[in-house]
Amino acid sequence: MKLPVIAAVPVIAAVVLAACAPGSDNKPAQQPAGEVRTDVAAMGDVTLTIWDQETRPAQEAQIKELNARFQAKYPNIRINRVGRSFDDLRSTIKLGLTANDAPDIAQVNNGKQDMGAFVKAGLLRPMDSYASAYQWTQRFPESVRKLASYPDSGDVLGEGKLYGVPQTGELVGIWYNKAKLTELGLQPPKTWDEFDAALARAKAAGQVPIQIGNLEKSSGPYLFALAMHRFGNPADETRLATGRADANWLTEPNRQAARQVADWVDKGYLTTGFAGLKSDDATEKFGAGEGVFHVNGTWSLATLKEAMKDNAGFLLPPGGTVTGGTGLPWAISAKSRNPDAAAAYIDFITTQDAMKTVASSGNLPVLDAGQQPGAGPERDVLDKWQEASTSTKMVPYLDYATPNAYEVIGGAVEQLMAKQLDVEAFLGRLQADLESRRGGR
Amino acid sequence: MAVGEPRRVGYLYALPALLVYVAFLLFPLLHSGWLSLFAWDGLSLGTWAGLSNYASLFSEEGAAAAFGHVGVLILFFSVLPVCIGLVLATALHRVRIRGLPFFRTVLFLPQVIAMVVVAVAWQRIFAPDGALNFVLGTEGKAWLGDSATALLSVGIVGTWVQTGLAMVLFLGGIGKVSADLFDAARLDGAGPAGEFRAVILPALRGEIGVALTLTVIAALRTFDLVYMMTPLGGPGGSTTVPAYEIYQRAFHTGQVGSAAAIGVVITVLAFLVTYVITRVAGRERA
Amino acid sequence: MTVSRFERVGTYLVLGVFTIFALYPMLSILFTALRSEVSGQGGLHWENFGKAWTEARFGSYLFSSLIVSVSVVAITVVLSILAAYAFGTMHFRGRDALFYLMLLGLTVPSEAVVVPLYYDLRDLGLTDTYASLILPQVAQSIAFGAFWMRTYFRSTSRGVVEAARLDGAGHWQTLWRVLVPMGRPALVTLIVLVFMWTWNEFLLARVMITSEALRTAPLGLQFFSGRSDTSVPLLAAASVLVALPVVVLYLFLQRHFIRGMVDGAVKG
Repeated sequence: MKLPVIAAVPVIAAVVLAACAPGSDNKPAQQPAGEVRTDVAAMGDVTLTIWDQETRPAQEAQIKELNARFQAKYPNIRINRVGRSFDDLRSTIKLGLTANDAPDIAQVNNGKQDMGAFVKAGLLRPMDSYASAYQWTQRFPESVRKLASYPDSGDVLGEGKLYGVPQTGELVGIWYNKAKLTELGLQPPKTWDEFDAALARAKAAGQVPIQIGNLEKSSGPYLFALAMHRFGNPADETRLATGRADANWLTEPNRQAARQVADWVDKGYLTTGFAGLKSDDATEKFGAGEGVFHVNGTWSLATLKEAMKDNAGFLLPPGGTVTGGTGLPWAISAKSRNPDAAAAYIDFITTQDAMKTVASSGNLPVLDAGQQPGAGPERDVLDKWQEASTSTKMVPYLDYATPNAYEVIGGAVEQLMAKQLDVEAFLGRLQADLESRRGGR
Repeated sequence: MAVGEPRRVGYLYALPALLVYVAFLLFPLLHSGWLSLFAWDGLSLGTWAGLSNYASLFSEEGAAAAFGHVGVLILFFSVLPVCIGLVLATALHRVRIRGLPFFRTVLFLPQVIAMVVVAVAWQRIFAPDGALNFVLGTEGKAWLGDSATALLSVGIVGTWVQTGLAMVLFLGGIGKVSADLFDAARLDGAGPAGEFRAVILPALRGEIGVALTLTVIAALRTFDLVYMMTPLGGPGGSTTVPAYEIYQRAFHTGQVGSAAAIGVVITVLAFLVTYVITRVAGRERA
Repeated sequence: MTVSRFERVGTYLVLGVFTIFALYPMLSILFTALRSEVSGQGGLHWENFGKAWTEARFGSYLFSSLIVSVSVVAITVVLSILAAYAFGTMHFRGRDALFYLMLLGLTVPSEAVVVPLYYDLRDLGLTDTYASLILPQVAQSIAFGAFWMRTYFRSTSRGVVEAARLDGAGHWQTLWRVLVPMGRPALVTLIVLVFMWTWNEFLLARVMITSEALRTAPLGLQFFSGRSDTSVPLLAAASVLVALPVVVLYLFLQRHFIRGMVDGAVKG
């Protein structure tokens, strides 16, 4: 090959390319306060592009109905809805918000790697002025608003300005198979001792005590959080989950929690081969009657209800501390030319009326859950959410802590369960991730 | 018509292809080199980083591991298929098999199936309740969930995909060898092994080189397979590969410069592999 | 040729093992696709394919793949023919340098350019369009196409071209009336290979495409496999649908496929 000719090309091109550094400083000018308009009919013809992740059947049903009602009420607003699954939205939203045709409204994951990073890059519009105009401060409890609040630096979840409000709630609790518990002569466990006893009894009877699949490394952290709830307290756990400066992984309760997870593995309480089982396959197995307990989120309600009918039950972890949060908050893009219309839309889909629609379509509404009708596992989920969301015992997901927390915690728990990390090394890994972010920025 | 005639119009004919090629392959490649010199999160303004992205590829655990894993994958994607392919092709040549076209078609088939489909199929085979555990009697073993076996499992799939290619290449090559050579070898009293060493191996130098080039590059590029079979880099990060690191860094963890640097490195590696193998395999014939 | 009975049996045995090794994953996914969605229920369930086609929207994904693949093939073939005609039959300054420059593209893995491509195409407003999949893949395929067709043009007899010239055909007519029709076998091989590469491409689509409506079949399959409400037989049915077009094409044109892989590779 005639290499010299080819070799000359990069040199020339590098000269051509040396125009500028990549990227741009796209912090938008802050809108002056007090200019919020809430009279939608007077806004003229507006098209709102909305990226949501309401793509499962129950979610799709509620958002379509609310969109139809919104358009009927305000014919001057056209809604351009782009529905995407959760993973899909998460992997495309960053690119979407920086594009010139950014959506007006998007559902943005609360964590630092998502909402935090976007706030830092100035891609989202603070919603505090709308919160007071529409009285969201009264509508949403502080705990819910905090889960979508960041300071301008984007590094502390729970402080600073409000960047979104949610429509739904979710909890990671303990699903159980009623018939199997009865068969084992047990009641749904109310204390950790009862839970231990139930696991031991299930194992002895040849059942799978906890059905779990961790191939994607998403379920392991749920299990570890469950163990943390046993030994920790909600305030400390929240500090860790939100990556606060005073948080510390190297504590006795966290050691106990890590040991607990390892102990569950050692005792054979988890599905055989859990490390190679897909999480959804585990849910399917539990639905098909394999497993007494299943640690997973309320989002499995539809799947499990269909498979098990009223035989499925949902519990908060004994002690009441529970991992939970809101569905993805609805946020306004900094590039939106119609933020007022966008805010009006978000207000519309989170009213009391809207919550009824959310619930009647089979979702867990973030507000007024206890007042919604429903039976069987649905009743469980509604009531437990009502209980948890109004208590002080709800702890955010662990992966909100740092930009890499999702990967770091998922990986570390997986290795803890595989016995490749001992308790100290495991906690050390989490602590290092926490500190690298603290020192780095 | 090897020489051709002088014609300016040649530029016009070549122009459209060159334009597309330069705009959508060459320019991005250079742009990649440019981006690799910056620390950029993809959102805000990038800052000049010089060669530090490259330097950290060598020092940092994640990237080094990814390249190490590719080394293992090359064993499964290239070396093993080439060895198996040689054995199969030799055997098929010696024994006039009935239904040879059928076997050739079937063995080549994995090569044409989309990797995502291959991943779906094999994920089920490796599952704790999958066929492999059934056959081996190792109930509940998590092949893809165990850091000791995950990379091996992905590698086996690579062997599955590439063996047919190697075999078909070699069959074609052996077919071109004149029968006299085999007769001569046999007159000298060569058995199967002697025949293999004296006739087949030298004759297939070119084909072996090609098979190695194609499969090594395929190994270097692996993405779909690991991305789907072992999410998030697999157990203990045991199945991260450069392409996965590129994707993860550029679009998830906001290290665009570092991602671009990995891209540049695999391009250089692919080029080197092609160059070296072409040189070594081609020398004999020239 | 005489070989021992032992060797003959042994060969069949080894061949049989590898045939099973090659076929089993494909057959197992086919059978899974025909299983009932409700576990334990017997019978063949062809309706899984219908459900994958409509409810799981694989009809739409396959359509996207078809548009992208056909466009890439068409553009690649035309541009490759033109360029290879120049590289193979004409003489102009810098010809070889330009040719080797294109040849370089054969070794550039798309993984290496996907990141800058994303930002370049976004600046052009082309991300999340078919163009963002078509243009980069044309660029990649053209490197191979120009090389492949050049080999053909160089092998055609000079006499044929001169006869055409005597009949008064210009270089344009000579190409399209004489050389291209004669080069059908080489073209068919090029078409099937480029079609297969484009159809099976994943990373580029993963990065460029955000709209559900533009999703290609392999990308659709990845999302479908990650969704929690996906049943196993339906996922298998979708996988079969994604693989089927290329497999059918392969079975019909397998000689071209194999020759393309073999010859193209050897000369590369």
